Amino acid sequence: MARNSATKKLITDYYQIRNTNHETRNMEYAIETFSLTKIFSDWWGRDKVYAVNDLNLQIRYNEVFGLLGPNGSGKTTTLKMLLGLLYPTKGKTIVLGGDGADPKINARIGFLPEESYLYRYLNARETLDFYGRLFGLPAKVRKMRIEALLDMVGLKAVASRPVGTFSKGMARRIGLAQALINDPDLLILDEPTTGLDPIGTRQIKDLILNLAKRGKTVLLCSHLLADVEDVCDRIAILYGGKIQSEGKVKDLLQQTGKRQITTDAISDTAVEKIKQIVRNEQADCVVTSPMDKLETFFIKTVAAAQQQAQPTSGAISTTQIGGFLAPDTPVENILDKLVSPMESLRTAPVLQEPSEPPKTEQVGPVETSQTEPDERATGVLRKLTEPAKPSQPKPVVRDEKVETKPVEHKAAQQEQTKKSIIDQLTGRSSPQNEDRDLGPDQTDKSQTGDSGDA
Amino acid sequence: MDPTKPISPRQETQAMHSIWAVATNTLKQALRMKIAAVFIILLIVLLPAMGLSMTGDGTLKGRLQTFVSYGLSLTSFLLCLLTIIVSIYSLTSDIKQKQIYTVITKPIRRFQLLLGKLLGVILLDAALLILFSAIIYAITIYTPKYLGADGAELTRVDNEFFTARTGLTPPEADVRREVLDTYNNLEKTGQLDQIFRDVSHKKIIADLTKRKQLEKRAAAVGQNLLWEFNNVNLSDPNQSLFIRFKYDVSVNPPDLHVYGRWVVGDYRQIRYGARIQTPFHTFDRKDLIRTFHEIEVPADAVAADGYLAVEFINVPLNNTVVIFPLADGLEVLYKADTFGANFLRAVILIMLRLIFLACLGILTSTFLSFPVAILLCLVIFSTAIVSGFVIESFEYISAELSGVYYYAVKPIIQLLPRFDRLNPSKFLVPARLLSWSLLARVAAIMICIKASLLLLLALLIFSYREIARIVV
Repeated sequence: MARNSATKKLITDYYQIRNTNHETRNMEYAIETFSLTKIFSDWWGRDKVYAVNDLNLQIRYNEVFGLLGPNGSGKTTTLKMLLGLLYPTKGKTIVLGGDGADPKINARIGFLPEESYLYRYLNARETLDFYGRLFGLPAKVRKMRIEALLDMVGLKAVASRPVGTFSKGMARRIGLAQALINDPDLLILDEPTTGLDPIGTRQIKDLILNLAKRGKTVLLCSHLLADVEDVCDRIAILYGGKIQSEGKVKDLLQQTGKRQITTDAISDTAVEKIKQIVRNEQADCVVTSPMDKLETFFIKTVAAAQQQAQPTSGAISTTQIGGFLAPDTPVENILDKLVSPMESLRTAPVLQEPSEPPKTEQVGPVETSQTEPDERATGVLRKLTEPAKPSQPKPVVRDEKVETKPVEHKAAQQEQTKKSIIDQLTGRSSPQNEDRDLGPDQTDKSQTGDSGDA
Repeated sequence: MDPTKPISPRQETQAMHSIWAVATNTLKQALRMKIAAVFIILLIVLLPAMGLSMTGDGTLKGRLQTFVSYGLSLTSFLLCLLTIIVSIYSLTSDIKQKQIYTVITKPIRRFQLLLGKLLGVILLDAALLILFSAIIYAITIYTPKYLGADGAELTRVDNEFFTARTGLTPPEADVRREVLDTYNNLEKTGQLDQIFRDVSHKKIIADLTKRKQLEKRAAAVGQNLLWEFNNVNLSDPNQSLFIRFKYDVSVNPPDLHVYGRWVVGDYRQIRYGARIQTPFHTFDRKDLIRTFHEIEVPADAVAADGYLAVEFINVPLNNTVVIFPLADGLEVLYKADTFGANFLRAVILIMLRLIFLACLGILTSTFLSFPVAILLCLVIFSTAIVSGFVIESFEYISAELSGVYYYAVKPIIQLLPRFDRLNPSKFLVPARLLSWSLLARVAAIMICIKASLLLLLALLIFSYREIARIVV
């Protein structure tokens, strides 16, 4: 108990110092935890499990942060404490400059729990309507957003079916839609891609990147390492409730001892020349053709089937982003903002509103569902036809060039080498295997993660 | 954004929206998860079947009384069960199936979630109660027409069933002085120990009081009994009064009947020898003992200031002392309201009961799992149904454990609602007025105090508990 009160005092002191420049603190971090500790005790009150142990986490605004770790490492417990679903045994959390259980803060958060816990008896549309009403969205805005989100997650055709009859992946999509209905400033996603097909997974990744582009903060909690690697700016790896490693994905994964060159198809003589140059530097050199990622191949195949309009009773996957969430469409028009109780949207500390003149949301979903797919489709096509390019939807430089960049070591492989069978059990092993199959010699890495020129 | 900012009207409506959203969701849950369907089908089938099959004692009045009594009791009982189940299921399933994770992380406060659930249950109750009481009312009203009852029977039913009568009972006679005298007398003569062996002082006094009061309500052969009432406020001068009585006797007459002469009117005219202004009505009757009978008296017997005297004369034809039992031996009844209005209040009485149970269900669901909460609520519910019996039996055994009883058990029992004493059938069957003031008193005690306490406790527990923690 004495230790407890001492910690409390430390924290109070800390606050008093921090509160002197309250504003800068608010500007700095979207999520901050101070010696966050959660002990689950048994029936007699004896300490049993340290789920989270002295966790200090700082997530900046407009950052995509990945919280990694094997099962039972305290990821979900941390999220639950951030949201006030669990109370910390010790320590404190600050979310968006306030308490994560405060409705005013909640209005700016989108949360997807580790499973989509839905009311089985409601249909998809009613489910979203219910959550929209909890946010106090006016009926008009609510209706438009629901349609846009249903479009986005590809469940419009089954929108009047009770969600109790949905498959896990479809339920996941509705879960994601409910997390986005308030156009949150902070998105907390716990294992967002479990149960989703690769297209859904890809869509979520694209969505995360797009939201980040719009100035949103994303906290992603996952053990699907490939997903995390694709989208996160920074990651922290938890084990036993403690941070084992933390930093920028690039910094953590870059192999400074190696370099990688990617070229278009060049002649064998040119290859020989290059090898000669490398040998002159007293270094080794391996030359292979990069392989498609299985994800890309899969998306290509399904896209082809969809173009032939083959029937399906499941979700219609598209990689388009819902109207009001798309990066180049403004969220709301001014009228919507005035009638919406979520003033928070405007007062978000680092909200980068798009610079275009605001369009009305009335035309938003309709228009985007027509104009967006074009742009998105070309984006997808580009990705499909040019697999060796970064997956991020940023302009790709297509000049004929020899790109020199550091070779990145896959997180999955690091894990693989470090740990044994247990880790295969903890993370879903398929993406890891997939990556290993694709390129154990690390010649295809130019398509993943941040490209060196980012 | 600024936490110090006062709550704006928009935030208030936002709070209402959240509560309303949860309430409608709870309604949908109850209706679509087929919990309510079972009860609805059961009642829709049973009520008309009861209307057709129940005959009571064979008379039209008996038939109506039986149907209303059983119909309302069944509706009330089933809705009570439904309320307990729905109010507990709604929150515990949210917690167990974890939908609450996505709900409570939205801008809704925990108390709003609870109030929303409560509102949903109450709305469901109100809708079903209105539906079923309308069915019962319709069947009751149309039964006489359906059966083609004759004029005499219709008049009787109109006077004694389709009405709401208020009853005046004579006040208990003040016998404390006489009791004390008798006690002292017995003590002085040393008979006390002979008559009451090993009995506490309190019990002796109670026993003597009862005897003295019975003496006041007993008439030997040739004697008379006089009761005076002061607040007989008839709303309609053309209507009738009813004297409802029950004879008890010291020696059973051979044919179990008692002769009696009843005189009803303003007795002060005789006592003070004034000029006769209001008439006296005299009835000579022969009635079966130990059953209720009613004498219809024209309203003009009541004096202008609401005074009325009723006199019973034990005529010498009898060979026994006639006693009017203490609690319900004699009453003056007169119409105070219509059957419809009384029925409405009876339905509201059931509604109050349902609201109480909904609060109880919500409270238990904040800290117990579904099966445990159901069990606890059913125990409380069934105890409340027989609360009178429970209290009596505790009073009886309390002699040995009075300390424990008065400080531990009694306060808990006092917290129970008295469902048995507030049974709507008790009012509708004898066509007795269930007054608004009684209803208001019940509402104040059962809802404003007891149910509010439960709800407050529920809000406290739910506001401070960890949502994500699984409880057993």
